[in-house]
Amino acid sequence: MPKIDFKRSKKWIKELNKCIRCGYCYELCPLFKSLNWESDTPRGKLLLIYGMINGEIKPTKDIVDKIFQCFYCKNCSDNCSAGVPVTDILTDARADLIEAGFEVEGTIVKIDEDLCSVCGVCISLCKYEALSIQEQNKEKGKVIVDKVECRGCGLCVAACPSGAITQKQGCEVTLPELHERASELLRENKEMKALVFICNWSLFPGMQLSESPTIVKTPYGVIVSMCSGRIAPELIFNALEEGAWGVMVAGCPPEECDHNGNYKARRRLVLLKNVLKELNIEPERVKIEWFSTGESAKLSKAIDDFVNKLEKLGPINMEVSKIIGG
Amino acid sequence: MKIDMEKLKKIVGEQYVSDNIADLYVYASDASVHQAMPSAIVRPKTIEEVQNIMKYANKNKIPVIPRGAGSGTSGHTVPIDGGIVMDLKQMNRILEIRPEDMLVRVEPGVVDDDLNRALRPYGLFYPPAPASSRIATIGGEIAANASGVRSVKYGATRDYVLGMKVVLANGDLVNLGSNTRVHSSGYQIERLIVGSEGTLGIVVEATMGIRPLPKFRCLAVANFDKLEDAGNAISEIISSGSNPSMLELMDKIGIVAVNKALDLGLTEVGAIVLFEADGNVKEAVDFEIEKMKKICEKHNGTDIKMSYDLAERTKIFSGRKKLFAALSRYKEGIICTDLADDMGVPNSKIAETAEKIHEIAERNNVIMAVYGHCGSGVIHTKIMLDPNKKSQWKDAERVIDELYDYIHSVGGVTSAEHGIGLSKAPAWKKARGDMIPIMRNIKKALDPNNILNPHKIMDAPDDWVRATNLRYQVGA
Repeated sequence: MPKIDFKRSKKWIKELNKCIRCGYCYELCPLFKSLNWESDTPRGKLLLIYGMINGEIKPTKDIVDKIFQCFYCKNCSDNCSAGVPVTDILTDARADLIEAGFEVEGTIVKIDEDLCSVCGVCISLCKYEALSIQEQNKEKGKVIVDKVECRGCGLCVAACPSGAITQKQGCEVTLPELHERASELLRENKEMKALVFICNWSLFPGMQLSESPTIVKTPYGVIVSMCSGRIAPELIFNALEEGAWGVMVAGCPPEECDHNGNYKARRRLVLLKNVLKELNIEPERVKIEWFSTGESAKLSKAIDDFVNKLEKLGPINMEVSKIIGG
Repeated sequence: MKIDMEKLKKIVGEQYVSDNIADLYVYASDASVHQAMPSAIVRPKTIEEVQNIMKYANKNKIPVIPRGAGSGTSGHTVPIDGGIVMDLKQMNRILEIRPEDMLVRVEPGVVDDDLNRALRPYGLFYPPAPASSRIATIGGEIAANASGVRSVKYGATRDYVLGMKVVLANGDLVNLGSNTRVHSSGYQIERLIVGSEGTLGIVVEATMGIRPLPKFRCLAVANFDKLEDAGNAISEIISSGSNPSMLELMDKIGIVAVNKALDLGLTEVGAIVLFEADGNVKEAVDFEIEKMKKICEKHNGTDIKMSYDLAERTKIFSGRKKLFAALSRYKEGIICTDLADDMGVPNSKIAETAEKIHEIAERNNVIMAVYGHCGSGVIHTKIMLDPNKKSQWKDAERVIDELYDYIHSVGGVTSAEHGIGLSKAPAWKKARGDMIPIMRNIKKALDPNNILNPHKIMDAPDDWVRATNLRYQVGA
């Protein structure tokens, strides 16, 4: 086990004492909602950091993995009544662990060197400057990830043209998982007209901890993604093919997205709509709209309006669209 | 403690069992000052899984500690003897909403606010609502007999429990209570489970009463220069026969803390009183609010503001809702600990108790905020101290002894809504010695091997500071 002195984390000891461990941060944590272990909550992470600093626990692979599992949505630190800067503490703990030489995975992106063409698309879109090219020899460099700076937002994963960037599955945010969730919703509820991807950052209050599947059946299904910038076109195509009458993407308003993922989503959807036209599918079946935190009433109305519109359009005639699309 | 992990994995599935240090350490504590490591965590999804876990644990005499959100403040879920922590948050389905019978059937892991969100479209609500309702589970609320800001009109969890399914220590499943508002059919064992803190059985399903949402709610706030005046206003509101749906006190320490933490810009007066009335007839709500306003004015309450508007009410109430955590920000170097935090006193003693708390705190070098649902006699405090100094824990011990002696001398109770757990056990045992043999007999009858959340309430250690490790690093 590497030796470690937690010099950055130790400066937060007073803040760690301020955390009264009320646990109110659970409500807001998307990671806890998908994993359900208390060790995945912001409170759990602070406890683990506190325990490591004071020597009660040693950093094991399991603990380190928990510390590197976070999407930095900052719902916890923005809403902590005790004002504990959860994500700042987490970043310093990560830096201490990386410096000590720990191998980490968590929600940090991984690059498959064999697939990566070093085109640099990912580097220009990473707001956190977590990706860079490391020169290896005169002909070839390789893209490397700064594991402290990577926020796990997943924009690079959705944008990589070679599919070389991946993230560990299990937190319900990777493309295959979002696809699986969409298929599951459409399978479970045959009455479902619209699939709505909403951004965790702006709209977390819509997420509930409890389930009442037998009671509430809506003509739409909601999937929380970590950022609208994660919504790749294939997700939307898959949903339409599997029975959705339309797909709505709800993102943060311009200037409010932490990673500028909303602009990327919008650009992608414009292109996608053009393709839909070619396939003889009405482009208005795909919609993107902006919502700020606290605008759940506006969201709810927008979803109702969208469902009404889809009901007028009726289901997609896949046979026709396939013939025309060739 | 030797736990057969393979056996547990077989019962609930591999991904729902853990004995890795990351999980054990996190599940070793809750919102209290206590900390003790469990040997394993298990997260069942069905009643049958709970039964099988209990059968295994009972046969092997392994402690089992049921756990909801882990937001308890007295150490109820801290596994003082190790053993298995049973996290019930995954049993979180609302099974049935029956507006025609005014009841819901829920699994124990359903979160209070989620239940209310599901009930709102029906024009109904589940009233107990502790301040932690955003994460608190119905199972945990039953275990603690939780209540909250609306208890003054709507009562506590016990007033809503109609029936429940409970898994006993030996794994047997029993059906308790009824689907009716009243019943007179044998011992009310479902009532006995309420407030039993996981020591008698594991609630795996609950049938709870619900109420219609009132059409009108009006919330008002009054400022008082003197804490004593605020306390007296509250006592008179209650004794005058008013019918508030909320009646809250917050002292200056609380006001300063929420201003610091949340930048609310409240006037830093001696105390504020929040009072609310609700109902389906606006004139009736107006009448109640006006009556309470007059009583506040009689006791020198000033600057009274009121609103029916939801956004405005939320704003007025936001400081109170987040006060508990905000207290940590009151002063640099000191933090907020959950000790002696929810006494109940008779209505006539509110002002005197509030003053007494400040006096005891000052004399013993700690800071204590006074706030709470004083309309129901609940006085919340927190002891704010420097947790790294050993002498401060001595100070806290003295404060607690003095404070509970006073509370009991005026006919109050040790805990009004958080439960006894570990940290309040010494004071409670001192005051209620006559109950202990009966409680031990009941416990023995239902759990002869003493495996369900052992060594809590009547069996908890007599010294709360040394009952477990403290969660803070205490220096010299």
